[in-house]
Amino acid sequence: MAKKKADIKKLARDFWHGKPHGERRLGELYKDKTGLYKHREWRGVKDTLYYFYMIWLYNYIFMVKDIMEMGGPINFAKGVWRYRWVGQTYLPVLHWFDRGMEGMRGEALRASAWHYRGMVNETIRQFQRMFVADTKLHGGKKTDAWYHTMAHNETVWGGIFYPWSDHFDNVAMEMIPYFVTCHVNSHTVHNYIDAVQSIGLPGDPCPMCQAESGLFVLDDMPDYAPFIITSNEACDASVATSILQDWFYDKPLFAMPQPMQFDDPLVHQHCRREIEECWKFIEEQTGVPFNWDQLVKKLRQQNQLQEFEREKWEVAAKTPYYPINGVAQALYRIYYSQDGDRPIWHFCDKKVRKILEKCVSKKINTFPKTRHRVIAWSCAPLYYSHWCTWAYNCWGLNVIINMDSLMFDMSIRTDTYDHCLDDMATYHMWAPMRRMAVGGMHHIFELWEYMEKFNCDFVMMYDQLQCKGMQGVHGLFEDEFRSRNVPAIWMPHALPDSRTVSRAEIRRIVNDYMTTVMHEEPLDPSLLDFDDSMGW
Amino acid sequence: MYVRVGLGPNAENRNFGGLSVKDLKHLIYFENLLQEANNELVQKARADGKYAVGYTCYFMPEVLLDLPGCFSVRLRAPRCTSPDIATYYMSARVCHYGRSLFERALEGGYNFLDAQMATETCTVTCRFQEHLQKKNLDSVADMDVIKNDNFFCEFIDVPFKKTENSYLHYKEQLKYHVLDKLHERFGIDSSDGAIMKAIEQHNEVCRLINQIGDYRKLDKPTITGYEFHVIQLVSLACPKELILPYLRETAEEMKTREPDERWPFRCKVVLAGSENDDPEFTKLIEGCGAEVVADRYCYGAVESRIPIVVKEGQEPLDAIARHYLDTSNCPRFMPQDIMRERKQRLADLVKEYKADGLIVASNKFCEYWSYERVINTVVMKRDFGIPVCSIEKEYINSASGQLRTRFQAFVESVEIKKIQEGK
Repeated sequence: MAKKKADIKKLARDFWHGKPHGERRLGELYKDKTGLYKHREWRGVKDTLYYFYMIWLYNYIFMVKDIMEMGGPINFAKGVWRYRWVGQTYLPVLHWFDRGMEGMRGEALRASAWHYRGMVNETIRQFQRMFVADTKLHGGKKTDAWYHTMAHNETVWGGIFYPWSDHFDNVAMEMIPYFVTCHVNSHTVHNYIDAVQSIGLPGDPCPMCQAESGLFVLDDMPDYAPFIITSNEACDASVATSILQDWFYDKPLFAMPQPMQFDDPLVHQHCRREIEECWKFIEEQTGVPFNWDQLVKKLRQQNQLQEFEREKWEVAAKTPYYPINGVAQALYRIYYSQDGDRPIWHFCDKKVRKILEKCVSKKINTFPKTRHRVIAWSCAPLYYSHWCTWAYNCWGLNVIINMDSLMFDMSIRTDTYDHCLDDMATYHMWAPMRRMAVGGMHHIFELWEYMEKFNCDFVMMYDQLQCKGMQGVHGLFEDEFRSRNVPAIWMPHALPDSRTVSRAEIRRIVNDYMTTVMHEEPLDPSLLDFDDSMGW
Repeated sequence: MYVRVGLGPNAENRNFGGLSVKDLKHLIYFENLLQEANNELVQKARADGKYAVGYTCYFMPEVLLDLPGCFSVRLRAPRCTSPDIATYYMSARVCHYGRSLFERALEGGYNFLDAQMATETCTVTCRFQEHLQKKNLDSVADMDVIKNDNFFCEFIDVPFKKTENSYLHYKEQLKYHVLDKLHERFGIDSSDGAIMKAIEQHNEVCRLINQIGDYRKLDKPTITGYEFHVIQLVSLACPKELILPYLRETAEEMKTREPDERWPFRCKVVLAGSENDDPEFTKLIEGCGAEVVADRYCYGAVESRIPIVVKEGQEPLDAIARHYLDTSNCPRFMPQDIMRERKQRLADLVKEYKADGLIVASNKFCEYWSYERVINTVVMKRDFGIPVCSIEKEYINSASGQLRTRFQAFVESVEIKKIQEGK
């Protein structure tokens, strides 16, 4: 009788609060192979309702609203029809939310979801701007939007275009067609990789570059701007990719590579001059002069984003009250710091600030089942960026911070032109995949410094199999891990190409390490092994 | 009757194409010099008190490393087929050339170096050179690879364009990281006068190499691609001062060298591509019937043996900076016009050397040339009508049956084309 009473009490508690971590068996929610849910996760009354109304429904509504406001449904429909990357990724967006926020509760659920909302809004802005301006969708006509859009490589920081932002918009070429899409749908870019290999490229160069080249080989890039600012994306294959893209695009072009030896003061001077030459090129192309006031205004706004980021890091480093999960932290941070100042980032930060302050003031332990505080280093698998969510649910591995988030740790001075240019040059040189991933040894091994700063005790070492720069220091990391006695898992992957190392293989590697080296038991054994090979 | 002599120990493999012209007097000596980075002439120069300065890339101007008191050695790792320890440090997924250099360094093969002048111009050689560098960081232990107390490694940053900003930057880099460092560390005279002297010596090497190489432009070339490859490599891998007498003598010898009555090849090709310091690879191509008449690849002579011109009133360092950026056809130059110029340059070489086709070879895992090769394969055929054989190779290739098959098929296709055109 007493047992029955206890069962009912537990059932009622599980209904109201959701099952406690350890009893959830989240892996049983999946349909085999697809990764789709048999039914949605019950997170307790409050969180389930919050998820449904404030995340699921809210975001669906805003995905429609954003389309209506930024270019309209006709341009969107034309774009979906013409470009497979958008059609394949627009509808699974909410599934992407589900994967990233699986098992999350309370404030962690809320804060992480706002980050996702920011990214979705900015993604819609970018592809809609492409479609509105695209000559391919408008019978070859060069519209006003075409003349007022600037195209650039995804690692050319949006801040470079601030001086013209009151008259022109800028959209990175690869950010949406390549980078965002493979986070949402792990199959999207395979055909682009295959396309460039079909014209003779071997399979070993960086798969990111291959996918970006394949977009041009298959003519799946909108023609949305009169000229391009390109860069080296800081590696050999990216230089070559830019050249191949230029060959296909055949537009006026300014190449603005990130210099390689960026700690050298002479290099810094060179980079300053390159930025100024780029501005001259834009003036020539647009006929519109450089606007210093507009640059300062936008930089100050961007600095606000950076200031809040530092506040978030402070909480993450020193307390257990940080409410943002590993995947939301990583993607949001790299997105806005590369993309540049946009209203949506401020809107989302305001929401997140409230949640963060609540967590700190009420001392809410946001990830209570944390066993290890993890720092993730090097470049992450794009098709499995939500591995952090899985690792927390399954093993209590809580990713506190990652390399990509830390790259742009700087505010830009705006007191004088000289200071401003100085800082902008530094920002430009600390490009994604450059400062730490293929930067000099000093930067690559900043890992230990950040590990200490963020109080981490565990390293998830991303092993991008086709990144020549990181492969070139593989053995040194092995030596250092051993000599420092740091637990570290090498996570092999091929950035967007989920065929090289599958998600299941990544999970198996983590599982093996946690059982055989760490001798730990999973928090949720149902998540150890499941087949999501056909999943988005 | 003479037979061509190759680097391989197997004498049976040394004859290719049935060529039977009189052997070059110093060829075997040159071949022997290429067996080791620390060869006889390098040892002699060091014994004379000169500093050995290593480098890997064209963007590190060899002329500056040949200032009085030091000499340049473009690094090679001959006969390195199994770079095991380097593979532990750099993984098996980076280019064999970079790994082979590192393996050779770990074996002690570069302990003779007093300095390595490094460029971050391609990722893997950059990593190799970073491994050589003493960094004195707390975050990562130095590997202490080069056992030479003098040794230091200095990097320069090389621009991706050829603009005035690029020239200025490159010149500053050369001044600060090369000239000043050589002066500080070894007391090398880096005055304009010393640079002019080095240019003079460099230009003599260029003149001799070009003089020798120009015999490949004849209808019946009196020098094979293999022989020229060996000669070009010794000019990169040995102290200039010591190799010059041999080059002079070879140039003289070439003046009276008579070709075979029957040209032993079936067609002529230009060889373009990534790093290639393996004459056996050239020999492999020629063994299939295609004479290599021009060498537009890293370590080739097309760019590296263009004499440096210093205009009146021009600072020698400025002339050098402009020369090396202007003459390079490296695929890391990004602007479109330069990319298109590279294609035109290849087409011009095919015409100038009366070649029948083009072989584009990229080292496996070389990202620059993987892409460049794809574009060349399409463009050279489509826009210039030049037959192209596109291949991927390893650092050491002499035993590759697959490549042999590819080259034989290409030679046949070129022959068929010639027959169809009535040539």
